[in-house]
Amino acid sequence: QDVTLKLHQLLPLKAAIPDKFINPWIERVQTQSGGRIKVEHYPSMQLGGKPPELAQQVTDGAVDIIWTVMGYTPGRFPRAEAFELPFMVATAEETSVAFQKYADKHMQNDFPGMQVLAVHTHGPGLIHSKAPVSSLEDLKGMKLRGPTRVITGMLEQLGAVAIGMPVPAVPEAVSKGVIDGAVIPWEVTLPLKMAELVGNHTGFEGDRGLYTATFLFAMNKARYDALPDDLKKVIDDNSGVEAARLAGRAMDEVDKIGMAKAQQAGNTIITLDAAETARWKEAATPVVDGWIAEMDGKGMDGAGMVMDARDLVAAETK
Amino acid sequence: MYSTISGVLTGLSRLLAMLGGILLLAITALVVLSVSGRALIWAGLGPIPGDFELVEAGTALAVFCFLPWCQMERGHVSVDVFADWLGPRVNAVLAVLFDLAMTVVAAFILWRLWAGMQDKLQYNETTYILQFPVWWGYAVCVPVGAVFVLVCAWTVVRSLVEARDPGRAAGRA
Amino acid sequence: MDKLEIALWSFPLLLLLIGLRMPIGLAMLLLGIGGSVLVNGTWLPVMSQMKAMAYDTFSNYSLGIIPLFLLMGQFATHGGLSKALFDAAESWLGHRKGGVAMAAVGACGGFGAICGSSLATAATMAQVALPELKRFGYSGSLSTGALAAGGTLGILIPPSVVLVIYALLTEQNIAKLFVAAVVPGILAALGYMLAIAVYVRLKPDSAGHRDPAPMAERFRALWRIWPVLAVFVLVVGGIYLGLFTPTEGAAFGAAGTGLIALANRGLTLEKLKTSLLQTATSTAMIFFIVLGAAVFNTFLAFAQLPQEAAQWVTGQGVGPYTVLAAILLLYLVLGCFMDSLSMILLTVPIFFPVVSALDFAMDPEAFALWFGILVLIVVEVGLITPPVGMNLFVINSMARDVPMVQTYRGTLPFLISDMLRVVLLVLFPGITLFLVGV
Ligand code: NA
Ligand code: NA
Repeated sequence: QDVTLKLHQLLPLKAAIPDKFINPWIERVQTQSGGRIKVEHYPSMQLGGKPPELAQQVTDGAVDIIWTVMGYTPGRFPRAEAFELPFMVATAEETSVAFQKYADKHMQNDFPGMQVLAVHTHGPGLIHSKAPVSSLEDLKGMKLRGPTRVITGMLEQLGAVAIGMPVPAVPEAVSKGVIDGAVIPWEVTLPLKMAELVGNHTGFEGDRGLYTATFLFAMNKARYDALPDDLKKVIDDNSGVEAARLAGRAMDEVDKIGMAKAQQAGNTIITLDAAETARWKEAATPVVDGWIAEMDGKGMDGAGMVMDARDLVAAETK
Repeated sequence: MYSTISGVLTGLSRLLAMLGGILLLAITALVVLSVSGRALIWAGLGPIPGDFELVEAGTALAVFCFLPWCQMERGHVSVDVFADWLGPRVNAVLAVLFDLAMTVVAAFILWRLWAGMQDKLQYNETTYILQFPVWWGYAVCVPVGAVFVLVCAWTVVRSLVEARDPGRAAGRA
Repeated sequence: MDKLEIALWSFPLLLLLIGLRMPIGLAMLLLGIGGSVLVNGTWLPVMSQMKAMAYDTFSNYSLGIIPLFLLMGQFATHGGLSKALFDAAESWLGHRKGGVAMAAVGACGGFGAICGSSLATAATMAQVALPELKRFGYSGSLSTGALAAGGTLGILIPPSVVLVIYALLTEQNIAKLFVAAVVPGILAALGYMLAIAVYVRLKPDSAGHRDPAPMAERFRALWRIWPVLAVFVLVVGGIYLGLFTPTEGAAFGAAGTGLIALANRGLTLEKLKTSLLQTATSTAMIFFIVLGAAVFNTFLAFAQLPQEAAQWVTGQGVGPYTVLAAILLLYLVLGCFMDSLSMILLTVPIFFPVVSALDFAMDPEAFALWFGILVLIVVEVGLITPPVGMNLFVINSMARDVPMVQTYRGTLPFLISDMLRVVLLVLFPGITLFLVGV
């Protein structure tokens, strides 16, 4: 019995995740199933809809597999936001493994209708701006595109003017001065050509970065359940922590390319020293506290989730 | 009877179209204010928070408001390639069929919009900056979508009447 | 039938339904829904997709530019700007051979700079120019032909609704597309004037004589069109320089023309109502087609038609310019029967991957801009090719005393001018690209 699965996602084929994670994943699954599973890969939202609809499309079974950004549907995956909190992220690989373990524990009920293949994160996000950001004060009045709900809130708190625009609009907005910069990981600077548009990139000393975003790679539950056991096993073998690790590794790999590109362009890469980083962490505390209070208000254990997230990341970085 | 219903529905769709138009004027004002604020950050002003989201939700509602009027006014693009060869009888029948198809499609869109609203409600999805629930945007469009279905259904009746009474059809603009 | 066959059969069926006068958006919606069900063997994908499709399409930020541009055009129409534009053009050009018709074209170009729609440009300028053309003894053929062709400047010269849609479909930068359209747009206006000059020399009795206007009057007339220039510079310049996004620019354009119309006392409450209602009709019509095309294109994607088409074309081993020429020709044929927007929405998702896969020895972005302008022009030609040319219908309905056949005939010189321009732009991409600098 042969199975054809439609995989729908928002990025073009050349981007890091499709190229270095999804396509290799497809190849492994097809080979290990002895050719009985065939995956049709539809990149760039070819099957219609806007990226935020992907989660619903796989829940409904309109497509069989999706890869999406959890933050595109604010409110739908609130527990994932623990990993988006400031200074949570280590490398993408370490954080992704930690996040997968966290999701296995805390997010069991967050994906109704879906069989989660993997969840993961990207590498540490940086501030990419025209004017250098060497201290907290430099943020004042700077128009920045914020990446996630949580980080956008933080930027506002730090005195920046957070502009909420879609990612594809960023290059034009930066080049024309509608915004002064954007907060994204190195990997995303490549498709957006940020190294050509801005001259400064600000990261942080130590083994934690400013923020990360969370991603979901999932299959329709009914479709998964209907697979014969041996094919289920093929999917299972390519799910969970090890799949998350590979996705994270792909992000790390491309982060390096993004950083090299900025160096080639002769841009300034600022690494805020320990003292300044401490100031930022201090300034970010209210964001974390606010998030915990918000989750508590929704009847979730905010503090517990943050603690678990920190511990899991720490365990991976040891 | 016919002209009463016709009058009421024409009035209703015109009213909705006007409301949509006013909404469009409001969007214009919002954008102008927000951009001006953004340009005057140095003077302590700033953009209107969530302006992108408001433009999106506002445009969606405006477009829904425009649909009944466009159907009532026969405003959809159509093309007469074979129409002249087919004669008035066939064309009248086709007009009924097409308005019927439009009604079915409009009802389908409304039904799915309703289902979409329930998804957004069920999963608590919010917008990105203002964090208002996405289902609100859907919810305001639902009654307008219902008027669209009603108007489409009425245009079926209108086409039927015109098919039986070519004089009335000829009298139209 | 396999997936691909279903997709291929949908095209003749679509053209048939459209030919029977089914609204185009409706035809695409029906076939898109039906096709998806057939190709997938289940209703599931359609049912799921339609939950968000309508709201997503109507709330799309980039598409929000369209009602705003339409509103801007409406305000410009009622704002007395069309009269000022025509007066200025006529005072400078009117005394030449065929000069009043040239003035009509020039004024259309000026109006196109603040209006994103071709039909609105044609209709608005016809209102002002038709009586004048008649008064100075211009033939019905030349008058309606010139205005129908001039109307196309509404989309050839930025801002342009068709370019917005193209930018969206191909993920290109709207601002750059607008700038790329400027020189070809001006060339179009000059080409049409040249066509008139040649035509009146071949048929001297088709145009009458008008005395030259005194210099003082010419400059006075020119001075009166500064608001048009101001709005154009604000909108297109502002978008290009990054004062605002294109959608924001459109809002400024609507606000600007609205204020000018108020200042000219052109915008009474009654006119405001008319403006809003006409914006409503056009917006609904366009968005309904966009929705239909989105559903139809999803069906084609499920059938994997775009990929198969690209593979098929590259497998034929013909040169890239042959493929380009074939596509442009196909647009011209389609243009005889379809309206510009539906054509773009229907074909660009299929053709763009096909031509992008070919090697034109060009930077991908430069290629996308260049191809966009070429498509814009051939699609625009469809507005004035018989039998179905929307501009022809609009102008002819306003010039009641001119038989349709004469209007058809009147477009010939302008069609020749269009063809020459397309060849010129294909041979020299630099004409399109040098202002953008890619
Ligand atoms: Na224009
Ligand atoms: Na045509």
